[in-house]
Order: sequence, then structure tokens, then C-alpha cells
Amino acid sequence: MSAKPVEAKNRDAIAAMGDIVEQFNGKTREDLSLMDVMALAEAMTHSAHNFFDTLDSTIYAEFKDISTHIANMRTEIGALRPNDIKNGRIPDAGHELDAIVETTEAATETIMTCAEAMMMADTSDSDAYQAEINDNVIKIMEACSFQDLTGQRISKVVETLSFIESRISKFSNAIGAMDGDPELSEEEQREAKRREDLILHGPQDSKDAIQQNSIDDMFADDGEEEPNQDNIDALFG
Amino acid sequence: MAIDPTMPILVVDDYKTMIRIIRNLLKQLGFNEVDDAADGTEAFAKAKERKYGLIISDWNMEPMTGYELLKEVRGDEDISRTPFIMVTAESKTENVIAAKKAGVNNYIVKPFNAATLKSKIDAVFGE
Repeated sequence: MSAKPVEAKNRDAIAAMGDIVEQFNGKTREDLSLMDVMALAEAMTHSAHNFFDTLDSTIYAEFKDISTHIANMRTEIGALRPNDIKNGRIPDAGHELDAIVETTEAATETIMTCAEAMMMADTSDSDAYQAEINDNVIKIMEACSFQDLTGQRISKVVETLSFIESRISKFSNAIGAMDGDPELSEEEQREAKRREDLILHGPQDSKDAIQQNSIDDMFADDGEEEPNQDNIDALFG
Repeated sequence: MAIDPTMPILVVDDYKTMIRIIRNLLKQLGFNEVDDAADGTEAFAKAKERKYGLIISDWNMEPMTGYELLKEVRGDEDISRTPFIMVTAESKTENVIAAKKAGVNNYIVKPFNAATLKSKIDAVFGE
């Protein structure tokens, strides 16, 4: 048997209450019996019950949706592997970058020292001079092997960035995330303002920054073009 | 204005290796009186203590940048006429224009070579 619709139940309850109220017309408090009061209470209870039935099912459906959504989110966040990224991959990438800095510093130090030794080498004894030059040239070549190591380390860092990018992209698609305006911390705001005030952009990509263009072209475009050394020279006449 | 190879030069950069490179290049060009500083604050203090014939400065340093150093130098009556060359990786047009407006005498973008450094020094001293 199908249940009566909620609207019909409400109508029935209101009609029942209306009947009882009609019976009360003209009666004083002394005329009312206990049965009258119970009949009214029953009608009101039915009415309230219908109301709460409606309320319960609506809220239940909402909570069920929210619960399902949270469960899905948990699954997606799990797939994101945040702990693996936070505790493993990002620190590892940081170590790789530190190692790159150390390796390049050490290589630069070796190369600079060899170059300085050759600059200051005593030329009075040609055999000794040649031996010193050869020795330093070999050391410089050996030091250049840092490029192979840093290349491999950089590949690992790029791999980590690709992993994170891939996971975030999947997560973003799964939850239908939209880009919002990021709230910068006070420190980030200060740093952003400092970079703006002091015109700090850092090194430019070579394909963007250093092209050999004429000063006429640069100023014909009202200075919007990236400068190269020739452009800059022209500014100083 | 002829170049005096005995003039003291102040090299300002927060990377010791870059200071070492510029110092060696200057040495090759015949300049042996080279001091150095790691940022604008230290450089300005040194420039107030010793009369330098030339300041060669990086841009991006902390706490005081080369751009701020340039403005400080140009705003100080005692040292305002010191020739100033910016050597930097900041290669945006607005950087060059801002430095020019602030009174820089020349501008070199990194990476650079000895010939570029020499030509800019020659240009600053009109040779």
C-alpha cells in the first residue's frame, strides 16, 4: 500500500482540527470534556508528526548527500597522497636542490682556483709553465663533470613536480575546483610589495630576454620589448 | 675623463663567486685596487669611507638592493658623482629605465664577458 502524500496528511490533520474547533464553538471551559481535549491533542499531534516527518526526510536527504560528498572527498584526498608528498617527495626534492647548489659551488670553486693559478703562473720556465697549465686544464675538465650529476638531480626534481602536478590536477577535476583569489599571508604581501617596489624580477628566460634587437625597435614599441645588451648600450649613447 | 688604473673600485654582489669573477676581470684590465661588499648597506658604508673611482653593483641583493644603493649614492652630496655601473640578471626594460632615471652610468646584463665589462668602463669614462 502506498503511503499518503505529506500534503494530503496535512490537509486531513487540519480538517480534523477544524472539526474539533467547530464542536468547541459556544462551549465554555466547564462544557469541555477530557475527551474533547484529547481529541484536539491527537489532531495536533498528527499535524506536528506530519510536519516533523517532512522535516526529517529533507534533512536526512541533505545529510546523506553531504556524507557521500565527504566520503568521495576522502577518497580523492587519499589518492592525492598528501603525506607522501609532504613527508617524502618535497623534502627529497629539497635535498636534491641543496645537493645541486653544493655541487655547482664546489665545481665553480675548483674552476676559479685553476683559472687564477693559470693567470698567475710563472712563465719564466716554459716546461714548468706548460706542466702547470696542463695540470689545471685537466682539473677544470674533471670539475665540469658536475653537469652530469646536476642534470640527473634536476631530472628527479622535475619528476617530483610532475607527480604533484598530476595528482593535483586529478583532485581538482574530481572536486570541480575553481581558481579563487589566494589570500596572501602578511609576510607574502610584504615580499610581493618589496619585489614590486624594487623592480625585482630575477633572471629572465633566455628566449624571452636576450634577443639582439635594435634600439630603434625597442623605443618604437615604447619600451615594452625585453632589452638585450645592444638595446641597453644604445640607451647610454 | 681618462681612466686611472690605480683608482679604487667597489664591487657589490651577494655572490662571492661573482665578486671573484669581476675582481679577476678587472685585474686583467689593469685595475688592482678592488674592494667588495655583499649588499647595498655594506657598500654605502664603504663608499662613505673611501673615495671610489667606480662602483660596480648587482641589483638583486638583501637587505639593500643595488637599485636602492644607486639612489642612496646619487642622493648623497659627498659621493653623488661616483660613476656607477649596474651588473645584473634583471633584464626587463623597466629595470633599465628605472636605473637610468636614478642616474646609473651604464648597465650590463648577466652573463657577461670581459670585453663587455671593458667596453662599459670605457664608455663611462668617455674612452
